[in-house]
Amino acid sequence: MAVSDAVRPATTVRGSDTDPAKRPNKFRQAFPQYVAVSPFFILFAIFGAFPVFFSIWLSFHSWDGIGQLKWVGLEQYSYLFTDPTFWKSITNTLIIWVLSTVPMLLLALVIANALHNATRFRSFYRIAYFIPNITSVVAVTMVFGSVFSNNFGLLNAFLTSIGLDKIEWLSQPWGIKVAIATIVAWRWTGYNAIIFLAGLQAISSDIYEAAKVDGASPRQQFWQITVPLLRPVILFTAVTSTIGGLQIFTESQVLFGASGSIGGPGDGGLTIVSYLYDNAFGSNQFGYGAAIGWALFILIVLFSIINWRLIGGSDDERLTKRAARRAQRKIAAERAGKEYADAH
Amino acid sequence: MTVTRRKFLALSAGGAAAATGLTGCGGSRSSLGAADELSMWAWTGSVNDDLIAQAAKGIQGTDKKIALTRVGGDYKTKLLTSLAGKSMVPDIVGLNDDVATYFPNADQFHDLHELGADKFKGDFLEWKWKLGITPENRMMAYPMDTGPTALFYRRDLFEKAGLPTEPADVAAAAPGWNEYIELGKKLKQAIPGSAITDNITSVFQYALAQLPKRYMTPEGEYIGDGDHIRQAWDLAVRVVKEGLSANAQDGSTDANAVVTNGRLVAFVAAVWWAQLGPKNAAPKTKGMWRVTPAPGGPGNRGGSFLAITKYCKDPEAAFAFITWLESAKNQAQSFLDPVLFPSTPASYDDPKMTGPDAFFGGQKIVDVFAESAKKYPGTYFSPYDSTIGDPIKAELVNVEIGAKSSDQAWRDAQRLIDRELTRVGAI
Repeated sequence: MAVSDAVRPATTVRGSDTDPAKRPNKFRQAFPQYVAVSPFFILFAIFGAFPVFFSIWLSFHSWDGIGQLKWVGLEQYSYLFTDPTFWKSITNTLIIWVLSTVPMLLLALVIANALHNATRFRSFYRIAYFIPNITSVVAVTMVFGSVFSNNFGLLNAFLTSIGLDKIEWLSQPWGIKVAIATIVAWRWTGYNAIIFLAGLQAISSDIYEAAKVDGASPRQQFWQITVPLLRPVILFTAVTSTIGGLQIFTESQVLFGASGSIGGPGDGGLTIVSYLYDNAFGSNQFGYGAAIGWALFILIVLFSIINWRLIGGSDDERLTKRAARRAQRKIAAERAGKEYADAH
Repeated sequence: MTVTRRKFLALSAGGAAAATGLTGCGGSRSSLGAADELSMWAWTGSVNDDLIAQAAKGIQGTDKKIALTRVGGDYKTKLLTSLAGKSMVPDIVGLNDDVATYFPNADQFHDLHELGADKFKGDFLEWKWKLGITPENRMMAYPMDTGPTALFYRRDLFEKAGLPTEPADVAAAAPGWNEYIELGKKLKQAIPGSAITDNITSVFQYALAQLPKRYMTPEGEYIGDGDHIRQAWDLAVRVVKEGLSANAQDGSTDANAVVTNGRLVAFVAAVWWAQLGPKNAAPKTKGMWRVTPAPGGPGNRGGSFLAITKYCKDPEAAFAFITWLESAKNQAQSFLDPVLFPSTPASYDDPKMTGPDAFFGGQKIVDVFAESAKKYPGTYFSPYDSTIGDPIKAELVNVEIGAKSSDQAWRDAQRLIDRELTRVGAI
């Protein structure tokens, strides 16, 4: 804040014992600003931070939602690690995640490339691809539920009409996973395509022109220029898709939630979040639900790091601070050596 | 802008007031609603609108009025949230047939014995009355409706298959589950694709609903691995092995479709299924359905209760309202809309209930269900019934979809139940 030095002599002139207190203090001067931004922090503390810390606290307790919290220490976590259903929910989630994310990102990249090169109706296509994302996931799931329905579904009607056997999409473990992955991919492909498109448009056309002059084919341009230069954007979509993919819930909830077993037949569609929901709000094991939540948190952090390592950043982004310092020292030493050599 | 101390104090007081208002912790009242009204929570379709409208003007003999909130979505979660908050709790709450899961926290509700409930005991089905009382003899919940079971069947399709068609003849042809399965096989021969259940868990649950004991004894002993459960399990597996299940799992779109397209020819179900199943899903089958006593005897599945929370402003007035709402006369009215089957035998002769039902070809269906309700032996529901029942149902589905053998699924279910019950400290 603008605390002018010129003010100080004036206060000194007034010269009383309370002198230091009377000096405009930085905190008081900044007060209006603090007050102005405080609503967010107050609301965040109540609805964001408090539940987070309370869920840590809760995960060390056993609680049925009404009575007293009972301290059980790490018991919820030790139960978690030996709980086969929990591990099954993790496997399910990972399979659904791979089944949806890999085709989704590849398809999105192709679509983005097509959109980028399109010459007519560009806005129309952009809107068309984005629309699935703003459609209610519940409505989408219900429609897909009838498409995949075992006995009278559209997909099975199609399969039988071309002489193939019916597939029990919604009762076989793999069928369930494919169905859920399809819903997820349908919803998010367009969204990721639009993000890729933004990334594509940031790539200078000079590079493409230079490549064309050198005789690069469109395919070569795509793999040698587009994909490497899009790496930060791909990283972003991969990380957000991971976070989203590990939190898949609504799809299995809408497809199977009404039946009491939230994962569907054979728990084929039981995801981590639906297992959390089922424990906390289905069987009123709130402490256990909180523990699952924290296990999920750790899992997401882990996978984000893996993503970062696999797809993420160029070499200099990977450099840690210490490595950067070491490199600087090396350059400095070289320069010093050179100067020494020059001097002699 | 400069901020004086006074302005700051005013601002922060406003902020604090807003914050407490938002979290709802500010009030000194512990129960919801104005001083002259009793707040009540129930889910959609659990009470008769006209009766509530009457009570909203004033509860007879008291100075209080009823303010009903129909809580949509996950009712139980919302109720638990409100009870956990210990503030702004409704005075009166509806509880579903999982009433026993609240027994460990029965101290959150008034003991209705103390409010004079025993005076009304004779009006109700004895077994229904007992379901609201904890093993410690605390009356936590007051009976609302029940869910007596019976056999629903398509008269037209039975006729086509050359089977008996009149309710009394059908009941005579299938007194037990074995005969019923034989009947199902004949149906399937005559009309390929016919099913006598939508899925495996339905058979299990309705066979269980006929038994005088379930998963635990009132003393807290686990008996869910006993012969009576295994017999219901084997019966369900047999129906599937004979190809008489439609394999339409609960909650799937197929579950409605098998009713609409006539695959589900006969079905042992509770009274409320008529509404959820054929009347809603297949209105075109009007007049083709009939009801008759179920093979294997009378049973009950479902039915709900009312309870008064300990935060209630005026327990006497709340109790006066509850007893009025659940009187035989008013329960009969609730049967017309929203189809709640009364727990008061006196209602069964009420002209509101004894009329012919056009959907069932003019049959007087109340007689069938009233017999089932009166003859049902009653059973004990433990607080852990859903903890035990969920793995059993899930494993039965595994058998139906061919993922596991019956024995393997049974072992897996028992292992999981053992683990869960140990965790919650029940065994």
